Amino acid sequence: MKNNQSAANNLLGNKSFKNVHLRKLTAIMEVKWKTLFSKNFIIMPVFSLGFTYLMKVIYDTISEGAVDMSAYALSLGVLMNICMTGIYCVAASLAEEKEKNTLRTLMTSSVSGMEFFLGSLIPVIAMTTIVNVLCVFLSGFSMNAAGWVSYVLITLVSSATGAVIGMIFGIFARNQMSAGTMTTPALLIFMMIPMFSYLNETLEKISGFFFTGIVSEAIANIGSGTAVIDMKGVLILAAEFLVSVVIFLLLYRRNGFESESRVMAWK
Amino acid sequence: MNQEYITVSHLSKKFARKEVLKDVNAILHRGEILGFLGPSGAGKTTTIKILTGQLKPDSGTVRILGTDCSRIDESLYEQIGIVTDTSGVYERMTVYDNLKYFARLLGAPLSSIDPLLKRIGLEEQKKQPAGKLSKGQTQRLILARAILHRPKILFLDEPTSGLDPTTALEVHRLLLELKEEGMAIFLTTHNMEEATKLCDHVALLNEGVIVEYGTPEEICLKYNQVKRYRVQLKGGVRHTLTHSPENAGKISHWLEENEIETIHSCEPTLETVFLEVTGRELQ
Repeated sequence: MKNNQSAANNLLGNKSFKNVHLRKLTAIMEVKWKTLFSKNFIIMPVFSLGFTYLMKVIYDTISEGAVDMSAYALSLGVLMNICMTGIYCVAASLAEEKEKNTLRTLMTSSVSGMEFFLGSLIPVIAMTTIVNVLCVFLSGFSMNAAGWVSYVLITLVSSATGAVIGMIFGIFARNQMSAGTMTTPALLIFMMIPMFSYLNETLEKISGFFFTGIVSEAIANIGSGTAVIDMKGVLILAAEFLVSVVIFLLLYRRNGFESESRVMAWK
Repeated sequence: MNQEYITVSHLSKKFARKEVLKDVNAILHRGEILGFLGPSGAGKTTTIKILTGQLKPDSGTVRILGTDCSRIDESLYEQIGIVTDTSGVYERMTVYDNLKYFARLLGAPLSSIDPLLKRIGLEEQKKQPAGKLSKGQTQRLILARAILHRPKILFLDEPTSGLDPTTALEVHRLLLELKEEGMAIFLTTHNMEEATKLCDHVALLNEGVIVEYGTPEEICLKYNQVKRYRVQLKGGVRHTLTHSPENAGKISHWLEENEIETIHSCEPTLETVFLEVTGRELQ
């Protein structure tokens, strides 16, 4: 059994996780970028943009312009984008590759695990970042240059964390449907808790330990002109990114992108 | 002597307690087609998986282009092509884009795509999404993708399974052309006609054991000990006669009397040999 496992790892690129050829990486990234525009996936960033704008319009209407709620509208859109595009799209895209047997074909066509990992993540992170920037304009939120730098950096790290978490779910998901089922609880936790943290002190405390909560807090801080992020926030962002990468690597070393049972079931 | 591209020595493999391959030996040279022939569950797909580094053998050695199968890496995958029934295509991408993607991954020139599409008869479907192809066309696309980078070895797992006879014939023609061009082809099949037509050597595999190994002709001749003739007389009566002085006399008599409608010798086929050796049907 152990031997089979090693072979599966070998097939899925474990031994050469460090090998990256630019030619292959750009080819994978191009295909993944196009995949993001397919109807299964494009709905997520579009929905985040639409949600941001809708929230801005609703809050503007409710407050009749008396209170600036643009930071909260932006926060909602960004949280949705990081979770839906960052986590769900990565998990579903990896699951789709398994479901359609293209992952196996890639791995037996000289693509290394690292090339597939980076090629899958970079387009999603780029898309998430672009949408995060667009959300700023749709929400009517205004920032100075320093605010923009902080905003882009913090949302970029959070998007990357979300994408790696999506990859972790993708390892376990056998098809797109199971990817949806598996990611839903995580989406609810990472998205809803920071969204409603202002309603409850406990939720606020919990939210402070999530990368999405840090993003939400940072946006609020940029809006109020206070320090964007404190040391605790930086540490939490860095730690959650590193922990998600480590968990991914551990799972990947054990199963590759597909579990051994699937390799065996292939017999 | 042609180069040895695949060498399998004393290969064994178990799943749980079931031994699926037992002491399998085989050699594939450059420009040859080696067929593993056997019914479902005989160990054919397991063999391909081991040869392509997807499973590890329990014992024995397998060398692919001089590399031990446990050390197959990305650079070796650039020298082999694999077609299995679970090979996938990118359904949303066009036929051309599917090939373009893999050409870029495998470092094959993009200029090779159009001639290849023409060769496999998918020129007209070039701009069609791969998800809209028929099963036969999809199989041809998968085959095209596997040979796009001119691999030294092509692995085919039941390449014509489920294809219509015309498409199957086209695939056969292409495989023979590739063989002529020096490609070594390892194929598994339960279709004995396909094996007889294509393979230079076949291994008859039954429950993980090679029960016969050689050229299809050698194997058939080996089991042609009892010569038989099938005679149909003009009245419609049919006789199957073994070779004996008495039956030779009968046939001679019928010939003299011009009573014979048709007469055939009954050499064994790979299928009958398999049945004789194992007591099992191939299909």
